[in-house]
Amino acid sequence: MNIFKEFTKGLVKENPVFVMALGLCPTLAVTTSVENAIGMGLAATFVLVMSNIIISLIKNFIPNKIRIPSYIVVIASFVTIVDMVMEAYVPALHKNLGLFIPLIVVNCIILGRAEAFAGKNNVVSSIFDGFGMGFGFTLALIVIGGIREILGVGEFLGFPLLSENYKPILVAILAPGAFLVMGLLMGLMNLAKKKEE
Amino acid sequence: MKYYLKLGIILLIIAATASGILAYINNFTRPIIDKNREEQKAQARKEVLPQAATFDSIMTLNSENVYRGKNDEGKTIGYTMVAALYGYSSNVKTMVGLNSDLQINKIKVIDQKETPGLGANCEQDAFQKQFMGFFLDSLKVDKDGGKIESITGATITSRAVTNSIEKGILTLEKSLSVGKEESIK
Repeated sequence: MNIFKEFTKGLVKENPVFVMALGLCPTLAVTTSVENAIGMGLAATFVLVMSNIIISLIKNFIPNKIRIPSYIVVIASFVTIVDMVMEAYVPALHKNLGLFIPLIVVNCIILGRAEAFAGKNNVVSSIFDGFGMGFGFTLALIVIGGIREILGVGEFLGFPLLSENYKPILVAILAPGAFLVMGLLMGLMNLAKKKEE
Repeated sequence: MKYYLKLGIILLIIAATASGILAYINNFTRPIIDKNREEQKAQARKEVLPQAATFDSIMTLNSENVYRGKNDEGKTIGYTMVAALYGYSSNVKTMVGLNSDLQINKIKVIDQKETPGLGANCEQDAFQKQFMGFFLDSLKVDKDGGKIESITGATITSRAVTNSIEKGILTLEKSLSVGKEESIK
């Protein structure tokens, strides 16, 4: 039961983007379309789960003083692996995300979870934490990406959704649109939370 | 002292293990990646100069090879080159197919990270088709008094594509005429 909680907390209650406001740089940058959002979310989830596993395994071996550089080495290695494997086997997706994959290294969700969770808990709960946080991140990206793609291009996942006469609100897929959509969603989340209390 | 040595050694072990694993994975993904890139380029060359049966490299431009396309009888029918210029947020690379008299046969944008919905639309056929049949002298976007209809009001990406092609053809023309003079001598 506890383990299940580790998974679900990342989805809404402790959602890395909307609640903890972590990893905002990739969130703002890649959410121009749902496809990008899914790709980025899954790549980050993979890195998050793998680094959580390794870090919770070797946490007793790493002295406290050098834990941050060690975590970064582990995370950067997995990011590089994702980068190479993606370019070899899914070049089309890699072409879209290319610029952002190296940025996963400095995605503070991953270092944050390594520091706050995997470095203190066992492997199994670290895996669930990684998946929960990763899917929470992916979910947030899809929501933001979906809104921006529908408003800005009139499509969802590349399929035309609105009528031909719809004139896209271009600002939604430009940088300011990312800030506006994310800010409004964060505000709504806070509103909902306040109401609950 | 001993404690700090221990810290260093532990960090060394971690880093060494990580780089070993990375080297191993690089070893088997690298050939696939290189092959993918080559295939993409070969495909783009075929697309912009479909009449050519064989391609052979004659010079380099923008650190990419310029190819001379020949038909079945070995007659030169055109050239392909990669034109590149910085647009709004990325280097826009275009594969350009030229007939033997340096008239544009077809172009294909092969690499760009411009703004989605704006500059990125340079990959759409409507924009790329316009270039067919153009010669060097008439190659300008509408804002600069030319005939290429730009994709956005700011014209940044359209201009990057147009000007990179113009520059590429100029360089190619120059080196071809130098080559001719030398062969006459």
